[in-house]
Amino acid sequence: MSERMRESLSALLDDEADEIELQRVLARIGDDPELRRTWFRYAAARSVVAGHRLDHLNLDISGRVRDAIASEEAVAAPAGGRLGQRLLRPLASFAIAASVAAVVVVGGQQLAGVEGVSAEGGQAVAGSVSPVGLVNSLGATSVQASYGTQPLPVLQPATRTAYQELARQRMRKYGQEHAEQAALNSPHGLIPFARVPEIRE
Amino acid sequence: MGMAAMRALLLSCLVAAGMKAVAAGCPGADSEALAWLDKMSRSLNQVSYHGVVTLQRGGDMQVMQISHAVHGDSTRERLTQLTGQGAQVVRTEHPLSCIHPGHRLLQVNADLQAGRCGIAEYYRFSVGDGERVAGRKAVRVRVDPRDMYRYGYVMELDRETGLLLKTETIGRGNRSLEKFQFANLAFGEQFPETSEVNLVHEAQHPLPAGPSPDALAAGAWGVHWVPLGFTVTDAPRGSLPRRTYTDGLAVFSVFLEQLDREIRSGEGVVRSGSTVSYARGMQLDGRPVLVTVIGEVPINTARMVADSVRWTR
Repeated sequence: MSERMRESLSALLDDEADEIELQRVLARIGDDPELRRTWFRYAAARSVVAGHRLDHLNLDISGRVRDAIASEEAVAAPAGGRLGQRLLRPLASFAIAASVAAVVVVGGQQLAGVEGVSAEGGQAVAGSVSPVGLVNSLGATSVQASYGTQPLPVLQPATRTAYQELARQRMRKYGQEHAEQAALNSPHGLIPFARVPEIRE
Repeated sequence: MGMAAMRALLLSCLVAAGMKAVAAGCPGADSEALAWLDKMSRSLNQVSYHGVVTLQRGGDMQVMQISHAVHGDSTRERLTQLTGQGAQVVRTEHPLSCIHPGHRLLQVNADLQAGRCGIAEYYRFSVGDGERVAGRKAVRVRVDPRDMYRYGYVMELDRETGLLLKTETIGRGNRSLEKFQFANLAFGEQFPETSEVNLVHEAQHPLPAGPSPDALAAGAWGVHWVPLGFTVTDAPRGSLPRRTYTDGLAVFSVFLEQLDREIRSGEGVVRSGSTVSYARGMQLDGRPVLVTVIGEVPINTARMVADSVRWTR
């Protein structure tokens, strides 16, 4: 993962990301396992630092990731470096980061959304908003896509971006099925298949 | 002019003359253009050809090889991508008698005979001199939508056979959204050798239309508004997650996903060339759904169609 990507990811978690950084992460996170792992680590670490129990996140974090979080804290906290400072900031834009991960990490196999924090989370977070929804293609891991501490106007662009990402994923998912019909019902023969982002067998 | 070309010209003149009389009741319907449209649609069942086709969308260009053969009472088709993914799509044994709704809409002769204007109600057609495409002399058919729900097209048809050699899709403000054209074209049933192919997809064919057995099944849904002139392409089967509609030139598909949790309402759009993907999260009678419309139509059409999705019981 490039330093630039790490910066973007980190800015995203800190509510400092602009639309371009959000787009940059969105463009990569689906194909980049390291980026996903890093996101989970940052997000989980933030959550711990901010005093939320991890189970609120409904993240099934493996021991390996747990260790990673621990070592991250060990490294970050005493050094007081950028990451450490970031980890100590309020959870302002967690919802954005979660929404990005929710929509993208999972590949959109299964779509769900949450309004606010779920009952299991047990914590009614004022003004928390969930962007589109989330997903699960990482096996047991499920992510709830809503975790804010205050009303976040900045979430609007993120929601928009999340929906745009959803539209992009659906184009990939359904493009071929649409082309099957277009090939039989428009004057171009098989040519509509050329519009399909990725042809599958 | 060769004999074949002469015959073709004569034929199209005769067809046009025949159609002129009946098209009179359809204001703005250019009988010559409609005759070409009809011929274009039928040419796929009459002519064997192969050639290289380019698809331009924005700054992107894809190149593919197209082969189409009419043999006996069926056709076979093949598309091989020469750029990008290197995939191949094949359709074998498509019966000549199998005319799908989109082509039926283009074969306007029957509509006109029956006193209907058909596709001429939704588009204005005009004929002009075409350019040379893939070394062939073409006739240009301009297609302008009569409403805001569809795009326009500039099509170049082979003068001799009626084959569609080039299509440019025109959006609002006369903006070119997408262009397909043959770079070369040869006639004959023999398919050329293909280079390396990474993957072969067998094009699907819908089940024959018929009464839908599970139309009343739980989860059955329907699209309650489509622009005039659009018709469903295959038998909608109750709770199946897709419906597709065509007006003969444009095609769009509607997909419905039922979610097991709430979704924050919203919409998202991406476009690629003339294709739009519009995703809309909403509650339908308290049940959260994601509706996606994918097709070669303006965004507003996709939005209005998504808006009209309802449970049917």
